[in-house]
Amino acid sequence: MNWYYTQSGGAQQGPVSQDELAAKLEAGELRPGDLVWREGMAEWTPITSVPEFRLSAAGPAGAPPIPQTPVFSNPYIAPQASGIYTGEIVPNYLWQSIVVTLICCLPFGIPAIVYASKVDGLMARGDIMGARQASKSAKMWCWISFGVFMALIGVYMLLMILGAAVGAASQGNSGF
Amino acid sequence: MHWHRLAFLMAVLAMLGWGAWLLRTEGPSGVPFLQGCQVRRWTGLSCPGCGMTRATSAALNGQILEALRLNPLGMILLPLALAGLIPEMAAWVSKKPFLWRLRPGLKLTRAIVVSILVFTVLRNLPWWPL
Repeated sequence: MNWYYTQSGGAQQGPVSQDELAAKLEAGELRPGDLVWREGMAEWTPITSVPEFRLSAAGPAGAPPIPQTPVFSNPYIAPQASGIYTGEIVPNYLWQSIVVTLICCLPFGIPAIVYASKVDGLMARGDIMGARQASKSAKMWCWISFGVFMALIGVYMLLMILGAAVGAASQGNSGF
Repeated sequence: MHWHRLAFLMAVLAMLGWGAWLLRTEGPSGVPFLQGCQVRRWTGLSCPGCGMTRATSAALNGQILEALRLNPLGMILLPLALAGLIPEMAAWVSKKPFLWRLRPGLKLTRAIVVSILVFTVLRNLPWWPL
């Protein structure tokens, strides 16, 4: 498993193996707040929040273990703490939909923006299925807007080239 | 790294750059592949992006006030959205999440979207000054 890491807010480094990263943590090269990421994780995460490295973080110099809040402290609410690590990030496509609306100038940008605005709200309410659906719709309308815009440009340029070719041909004929 | 994604992004950036260069040097009518707004052409209504060609051309020539007059909301949102796209595109190409991203909170997102919808309605009213 390849890990990537940052040291005190610097540029990302890696890939390194899990053992190498654990060694860096034990040697004090990495600090508890430093961010790490491997494929499959949704976001960069502080190394001490990643289950694989919790033990090694508590290890050196007899430092007291980092207190961990129990994940299921209240059985009636969704586990929030575990969401940081395993929770998926549903992209909202807000910036994409604004850019296609402003640049492509097509009506398809409006549904993209409306769906994009729903994603984060649905996520906050815990409706992951709804958020995924809205995200998918926003993405689809962004691509439709972009695709139609590019197609219109393509057709226009084709017509221009054809027109130029026809014009050149007729000019050639009349000239001789 | 996804090479075909990188190539696609570079092609789009090259086209945007070429368009921006033409807008700066030749003016709004100098971009051969931009045919104006299709919404306005077929319905006579202004979409949120109407006026962006002229506004961008004005902004690229340093006439910020003129740009804001032509499309006030678009001139504010486009730079913001393009900045927000940088980390998204970097993540899309590298298949790794970027270290920072521009994520407006729930309220700001809602405010942006409502302002776009209200702006679209407002600019189509007969007494809109533009």
